[in-house]
Amino acid sequence: MPRLGLRARVSTTVAVGALVLSAAVATLSYQFIRSSLVDERRNVVWRTAYYDASYVEARIGGPDTDYVEVLSSFNPGRGRTPVLVVAGTPYRLDVAGVDIPRNLAEMVEGGQAGRQVVRTEQGPAMIIGIPLSATTQYYEIVSLQELDNNLRQIGLVLTLVAGGVTLAGAGLGWYTGRRALRPLASVAEAAQGIAAGDLNARLDPQAEPDLQRLAASFNNMVDQLQQRIERDRRFAADVSHELRSPLQTLAAAAAVLERRQDHLDPRTADAARLVVEEVDRFQQLVTDLLEITRAESELDLSEVDVLALARDQCKRREIDPALVTVLDGEDATWLADARRVEQILGNLLENAERHGGGVVAVRLYQEGEHNVIEVDDDGPGVLPENRELIFRPFVRGSTAERRGDTDGAGLGLAIVARLAESHGGRATVLDRPGGGARFRVELSRRPQ
Amino acid sequence: MSGVLVIEDDDRIRRSLMMALEDEGYKVRGTATAEEGLAAHRAEPAEAVLVDLMLPGIDGFECVRQLRRDGDATIVVVSARDDTHDIVAALEAGADDYLVKPVAIKELSARMRAVRRRNRGGQASPSTIVVGDLEIRADAGEVRLRGEPVQLTRTEFLLLCELGAHAGQVLSRQQLLQRVWGYEFGDERLVDVHVGRLRQKIEDDTSSPRRLVTVRGLGYKLQR
Repeated sequence: MPRLGLRARVSTTVAVGALVLSAAVATLSYQFIRSSLVDERRNVVWRTAYYDASYVEARIGGPDTDYVEVLSSFNPGRGRTPVLVVAGTPYRLDVAGVDIPRNLAEMVEGGQAGRQVVRTEQGPAMIIGIPLSATTQYYEIVSLQELDNNLRQIGLVLTLVAGGVTLAGAGLGWYTGRRALRPLASVAEAAQGIAAGDLNARLDPQAEPDLQRLAASFNNMVDQLQQRIERDRRFAADVSHELRSPLQTLAAAAAVLERRQDHLDPRTADAARLVVEEVDRFQQLVTDLLEITRAESELDLSEVDVLALARDQCKRREIDPALVTVLDGEDATWLADARRVEQILGNLLENAERHGGGVVAVRLYQEGEHNVIEVDDDGPGVLPENRELIFRPFVRGSTAERRGDTDGAGLGLAIVARLAESHGGRATVLDRPGGGARFRVELSRRPQ
Repeated sequence: MSGVLVIEDDDRIRRSLMMALEDEGYKVRGTATAEEGLAAHRAEPAEAVLVDLMLPGIDGFECVRQLRRDGDATIVVVSARDDTHDIVAALEAGADDYLVKPVAIKELSARMRAVRRRNRGGQASPSTIVVGDLEIRADAGEVRLRGEPVQLTRTEFLLLCELGAHAGQVLSRQQLLQRVWGYEFGDERLVDVHVGRLRQKIEDDTSSPRRLVTVRGLGYKLQR
C-alpha cells in the first residue's frame, strides 16, 4: 500500500481530531437540549392533564352524563386527545385513536397516575393516565410530534455543524501542511540547482527557524560535495600539470635521440623511434587532458572574431579557408572565450580530416540564443546509436579503430562537448544532406 | 651577443633542453636561478633567453622584467603554467613569446630560427615613416611622438614599423605574427598583448585608440 503523503496525513489527523471533538460537543449539546426540552414538555403536559382531568371530573357527577359531550365541551388544544374510561368503556372524540396500553391502563385502574410514551402513526405521543374514581379514569394522549420535529431539527443542525467542523479541520490540516512544507520547496529547489551544476546554491538557515538544522546539514552536505568536486578537479589538473615537467625532459631528450638516430645501430634506432613516437602521443594526451580540465575553469570572455579564427585554423591544417562561411552577415564577432572557440574549431576540423574524409564546409551563424558552428565532412557519417557515444572520452572514429601512429587519444570530440557545455551550449552530430556527418556546436550568446 | 641562455631550475629539463638546442646548432648556456641567469646575461648578453616562471628566489616574471630593462634580448617564457593571466602577465613584463610545457623541440627551434632571422635581417621598410604626429625612424631604431622620443622594446618597435610601413592598411593578427615574430602560426594573444602595450605608449587614451585601431573581424591598422 502506498504510504500517504505528509500533507495527507496531517490533514487526516486534524480532520479526525475535529470530527471527534465536534461529534462529542454535538452529542453532549443534543443530550442536554433534549433532556431539558423533554422535561419542560413533560411538566407542561402533566399540569395540563391534571387541569383537564379536574374539569372533566367536575362534570361527570350525574348518572346520565353524556361523556362525549363533556369531552367535546372543552378544547384541549391541538395535538391533545382526551379519553375518558368509565367502568371499562372508553369514550373519546376521535373514532379510531390510539389504544391505551394495557400496563398503563392497569396501573391507572389501580389508582395511580401514570404516563407512557408510545409510537403512533402520527409520530410519538405521550399518554397520561389519571384515576378519577375507582371506575373512572381520565387519559390524555399528547402528540410529541412537534417536540420530536424540533429535536430532529436540532440534531440535524448539530450533525451538519459537526460535519462542517470536520471538513474545516481537513482543510486547515491541508493548508497547515502546505504552509509547513513550503520551506521544503526551497530545499528541493536548491537540490535541483545543485544537480544542474550550480554548486553555490545554499539555504538560508535564518529563513525558517524550525528547519535550521535541516538547512545547516544541507549546506554542510553541499559544502562537502563542492570541496570533493573541487579536490577531484584540482587533482586531475595537478596530475596533468605535474606530468608537464617530466614530459618536457622526455620531449627534449627524444628530440636528441631522433636527430641522432643515424648514428645508432638499427635496433637502438628502432627503439628510439618508438620512444619518440610515444612521447609525441603522450604529449598530445596530456595536452588534451589539460584542455578537458580547463573546461571547468571560468570563461575568459571577449569579442572574438570567429571567422578569422576559423580561417586561421583551416590554414594551419592546409584546409581551404574559403570553406568557412558566415550565413547571416559579413563577419562573426561573438562574445566568447577565444581559446575555447579556437580549440572547438581545431578539434572539429581535425576530426573531419582524420575520420570524416575531409572538411566540406564550415558554417557560422546565429540561431536564437545561440551562436552556431557547423562543420560538414565527407565521411561515412555517424550511426544514430553512436551519436552520443562519440562525445565521450576515449571513443575513436570508425575508420580508426586501430591505433595508428598519427591517431589521437580519442579526446578531441569529448573536449569539444565539454567546452561547448562550459560555454552554455552543446555539441551534437547530425547527417549532412547528401552524405557525411554534420557536427554542430551551439554556444550561448550570453555565456556566464 | 650570442647564443641561448636557459634559466630553468629543474636540472633534467635544463640539461635536456640544452642538449636538444645544442643539437640544433645553438651555443647554449644554462643556469638554475634567475640571479645566476641575470649575472650571466650581463657578463655576456645572449641572443635569446628561455625563462621558466617558477624559479627559486627571483621569480620568472621579475627575471623577465630585469632582462627587458637590461637589454634587447629576445625573451621566451617556457612555463608549465597555461593560465591566460600568467601568459598576459609574462608578456606584459616584457617577454616576446610564451610557450607552454611540454614544448616540442621542433617548435622551439622554429621560434629560435625566427628570432635569429629577425635579429639579423634588416627591415625592408623605408627608413623614416611619418604618420600624423608619430615619427618612426627604422634605421635609427627611434620613435618620436610629437617630437618626444618614445621608449619601445624591440618587439614593440618591429610591430610599429610593420604597421607603419602599411599605414592605412589592415594587417591581420596572423600576418603580424608572420612578419613581426616570424612565426608561421602562433598564439594571437601575443599580438593583442603587444598591441596593448604599444597603445599605452603612443595613445593618449588607450580605451579609445585613435592611432592604432582595431578593425573588427580583420586585425589592426595604423591610421594615416
